[in-house]
Amino acid sequence: MKADAAALPERLRPRAVFQGVMTPGSLDDQVLGHTAGTPSPLWYAGLAISLSAFAVGASLILYTFYTGIGVWGNNRPVFWAFDIINFVFWVGIGHAGTLISAILLLLRAPWRNAIARFAEAMTIFAVMCAGIFPLIHVGRPWVAFWLFPYPNQRAIWPNFRSPLLWDVFAVSTYFSVSLLFWYLGLMPDIASLRERATGKVRKALYTVFSVGWRGASSHWRHYEKAYLLLAGLATGLVLSVHSVVSFDFAVSIVPGWHMTIFPPYFVAGAIFAGFAMVVIVLVVVRETMRLENLITDYHLDAMNKVILGMSCLMGYAYIMEGFTAWYSQNAYLHHIFVQYVWGSYGWAGWLTIACNVAIPQLLWVPRFRRSYPAMLLVALGVTVGMWFERFVIIVVSLHHDYLPSSWHLYKPTPVDLGILVGSFGLFFTLVLLFARVLPVIATSEVKATLPGAQPSHRGGGHE
Amino acid sequence: MSATGASARVPALMTAAGAVGLGATWFAAGAARFWANWLLWFLFLLTIGLGALFLVALEHLADVRWSVPIRRTAERVSGLVVLTAPVALIALLALPVLFPWTWPEAAARPAVAGKAAWLNVPFFTIRVLVCLALWLLSYRILVGGSLRQDRTRDPRFNIRARRFAPAFMAIFALTLTLAAFDWMSSMEPEWYSDIFGVYVFAGSFLAGLAAVSLAVLYLRDRGRLSRVRFDNLYGLGGWLFAFAVFWAYIAFAQYLLQWYGNLPEEVFWYKERIEGDWLGLALVIGVLHFLIPFLVMIPRDAKGKPGSLGRAAVLFLVAHFLDLYWLILPAAGTGPLPSWPEASFALFFGGIALLWLRRAMTIGEDMPVGDPFLAESLEYRL
Amino acid sequence: MSERAFAVLGLFDSAQALVDAAVRLAPRRLGRLEAYTPYPVHGIDDVLGARRSPLAGMTLVAGALGAVTAMVFEWWTSAVDYPVVTGGKAPFSWQAFVPIMFEVTVLFATFTAGLGMLHLLARLPFFGHPILSSKAMASITRDRFALAVEAEAGGLDVEAAKAALAGAGAREIEVLTVPAERGPFPLRFLSRSALGIAAACVAAGYATYWGVKLIPVLPPMVHMLEQPRLDAQEANAFFPDGHGMRPPVPGTVDREHVPYPFRTQEEAAALVNPLPRTAEVLRLGRKAYENHCAVCHGALVNGVPTLTPAYGAKPANLQSRAIREVADGQIYHVIVRGKNAMPSYAADLTEEERWAIVHYVRVLERAQNAKDEDLR
Repeated sequence: MKADAAALPERLRPRAVFQGVMTPGSLDDQVLGHTAGTPSPLWYAGLAISLSAFAVGASLILYTFYTGIGVWGNNRPVFWAFDIINFVFWVGIGHAGTLISAILLLLRAPWRNAIARFAEAMTIFAVMCAGIFPLIHVGRPWVAFWLFPYPNQRAIWPNFRSPLLWDVFAVSTYFSVSLLFWYLGLMPDIASLRERATGKVRKALYTVFSVGWRGASSHWRHYEKAYLLLAGLATGLVLSVHSVVSFDFAVSIVPGWHMTIFPPYFVAGAIFAGFAMVVIVLVVVRETMRLENLITDYHLDAMNKVILGMSCLMGYAYIMEGFTAWYSQNAYLHHIFVQYVWGSYGWAGWLTIACNVAIPQLLWVPRFRRSYPAMLLVALGVTVGMWFERFVIIVVSLHHDYLPSSWHLYKPTPVDLGILVGSFGLFFTLVLLFARVLPVIATSEVKATLPGAQPSHRGGGHE
Repeated sequence: MSATGASARVPALMTAAGAVGLGATWFAAGAARFWANWLLWFLFLLTIGLGALFLVALEHLADVRWSVPIRRTAERVSGLVVLTAPVALIALLALPVLFPWTWPEAAARPAVAGKAAWLNVPFFTIRVLVCLALWLLSYRILVGGSLRQDRTRDPRFNIRARRFAPAFMAIFALTLTLAAFDWMSSMEPEWYSDIFGVYVFAGSFLAGLAAVSLAVLYLRDRGRLSRVRFDNLYGLGGWLFAFAVFWAYIAFAQYLLQWYGNLPEEVFWYKERIEGDWLGLALVIGVLHFLIPFLVMIPRDAKGKPGSLGRAAVLFLVAHFLDLYWLILPAAGTGPLPSWPEASFALFFGGIALLWLRRAMTIGEDMPVGDPFLAESLEYRL
Repeated sequence: MSERAFAVLGLFDSAQALVDAAVRLAPRRLGRLEAYTPYPVHGIDDVLGARRSPLAGMTLVAGALGAVTAMVFEWWTSAVDYPVVTGGKAPFSWQAFVPIMFEVTVLFATFTAGLGMLHLLARLPFFGHPILSSKAMASITRDRFALAVEAEAGGLDVEAAKAALAGAGAREIEVLTVPAERGPFPLRFLSRSALGIAAACVAAGYATYWGVKLIPVLPPMVHMLEQPRLDAQEANAFFPDGHGMRPPVPGTVDREHVPYPFRTQEEAAALVNPLPRTAEVLRLGRKAYENHCAVCHGALVNGVPTLTPAYGAKPANLQSRAIREVADGQIYHVIVRGKNAMPSYAADLTEEERWAIVHYVRVLERAQNAKDEDLR
């Protein structure tokens, strides 16, 4: 009863999710095969670069521990700077993974399956990168456990009315839930790897991590239910996490921070930045791992459409913020918004607008949604733009305090920059390791959606 | 047609009785109360119509399958936008009564005087006219084209609608925000909250979905949409559930931030609405708009079974009305307890809306029979 | 071979064939039917007669529990156990408690859904299932579908099951046996494990002890103590007199200084409390007492506070007969000059507050030692 595809105009024809002939077996060989054999020199080169970047960041973090956060550029009144920018940036990157794996699952988007696992892994790694920054920003990270409410000799409790504590709960919940979601999704694939693995150590590891998964239909039943429930819960969680991050700013009365649109605006921005990062990494993975038949132009097109939509939402949020800055007739708010675009850091404001709103408009052209140069330009632009958006929000709002006597410009030190580079190093190191030892595509999910994978009639007929 | 005639009599009588009440309100209860109710019903019908139109555009934008069989119903409900056009024009007469920035005293309030470039009668009128024009244009493209497709069976309409849908989304976001800021927020011109447009959008889509659900179930009961099954209804229920949560999220975010910031130019708005008798209504809205529907709609069956979906839809419509009541009436200085003026407005506009929808239900086919995806969509499985 | 048959496994090439075979075998009741598939096959549950998954209900309950737990915990810590007003927000501010309530709800619900599914419903991890060591497992996780007739309490008719599966179109048939019972853990293993655990505990204990002792005195942890600043009374070569602290400029006059000439408690006994014994004065006395004195002398001035056991010294019991009988001035004198381990509070309390405290102490003493005529 499908619509007669040939009779439809080109634009309306349903597009194939995969290219070529694909069977469950060929899928396994293609995707799981990557975990065996020696990696390419390119992979080693990538790992060397990422590990060096990570080493730079890690040593600078140790230097910061030893010396104190005075080695950063933070000053009075810019108490928050690179550390919080990077935190918000990385948490945001993580949101795309949850969106793809959870929200698109509920919306039944057909292009989700092939990219979900990778995006979920990126969520985990991004949240790990994000977690570093508040930890090192507390100055004495060895007592960071004071953030958690546990009965103690000091007979005190953390302040539950503080958004910074909400953050502790939101980010730790987000990390553990994402990890669980990712791991449960991986389990059947690890079971497949267990059966394929030849090396003794590998086999033992895959055996342990597959927890004895045997594909029983009595298990699949609960498994599918659990996956759906986790998706529903993760959808609420992903809204809440970046909203809570936005509360760190918005509950204060710092002009430029106290905006009611912050929660949805931050969530949209997070998804936006995350999708851009997914596109960047996916293009590389698709080319180097030869996954063009699984991750097709259709997938890239769909992702770029999401980026375009999010870019328009960002535009809406910027318009609302700018309008409100004037409409409020609040002198402080007005001043800060003028600083965003005409102040000492005006270039950052314009860069943000250009990268987040102007350049992504290229994607209205269908051809650009399928061309690597165009989509990489947009994705890199969005990554830069979203980082600078947080720079504008945090540094520019802070550097002009209510008291003109305490106004101060901010300039990052090499240590700040090095730690940022190190976080990218950590992220890509983890991504590269993931691509080596675990399947980058959720094979059991894709298998279930291949043509003919499901019985067309539920038994009977033959009797 | 005799059955139609008989049941058309009830809304017609409602309208007639309401019209008498409207006159009585004008003379006995004062202009402020009259216009406050007028505004309330204008925005109630407008948000339902726009919410339904949004659902229609969403289908074209995202190439959605489950909603094709119910799209015609959504298109018919979105016709309320056309009905609200004259209501909006008449509502312009409320400006000198309800909107403090039109009063001469406004010059003495610096925060209001500073907004004179935005809040003045000519510019306000222009904005209203532009919004109306854009809405009617969108309606014509999306709904008019769909009705024509019943005859022509031309799939090119789907391409046109798909091209127009992104533009509609931009139009929709900006015009609904304008409507929210102009017609509601500016009744208290010192107050500002840049999430307010999103808040009104959440309520609007929810109300549109609820009205469409009710209309679908009504037609289905009469055997006119008998091929719409659980799987299609589940789409409506799922979106209702999702937007009940989304609405609560936005409403709570706005409240939390203004409560926490505790700035005098913001919190006065909430103070008016959660102190004294209004607190009761605020709590009722929280319970009806979020808590009850959220708990009731958690099970999968509740999102697609006609009975539970219908009950939830009625609840959402009532809750959305109360929400608008709570947004608008405190600014007009009217008490929270409704009385005969409110009842007669409900009769009048409720009757007109029902008559309008009855007529809409007779135009075109009950399903978009010209849509090339209809057959596939009727086979849609969750 | 004493091995019993656990199941007979038939392999099929497609999900459709699997479902068809299950439909044929289900009414024959040869044993418990179970399917093993590389991905969830829809419709097989109906054929195998599985009940609905109870997971949604479990998750809902856990979520509700999470919400209540978080809200009650936040209320108790913030409003009951440690009520401090910060940021102008009342100790119980439900608005501010909602974000964490939401997070904990999601945390409880997701872990119930995920781990509850894995452990309670699927009984995993479990590495001993016979099918894991079957030949068929490699293809089951890849692209083939197995239907197993598993033994029930009455055993399994292997030949009948084989015939039925072959009749239903199975491509390959495999008989799985129950692995030989290995008996309980050998004693040697148990004693070794016990020794190992004990050794690990001792090692962990030592490591923790030295870790806790050492870590705080290592850099950078110790940097908080090594600050380039001058403590009071410290010597310093910067000034010619070698003192770090500077004396007041000669001729400095202390403002609002009331000379207090008495040296001993006995001398001060002659002082008379200048304040009237009004409710207002007592309120002031109570506030000052609770802020400065109650921490040692206790809320009832009986020397039984919460902090002292950790502190070491024994504060005076002002309810004792000896102190009840001293003059007001003597108590005043101790506040000003201090006594034994108690330092002077002259710098912390105004003269008015000191006398108000004396009144308040007197009231508490009287309240704890009420006489018959007080009740009349």
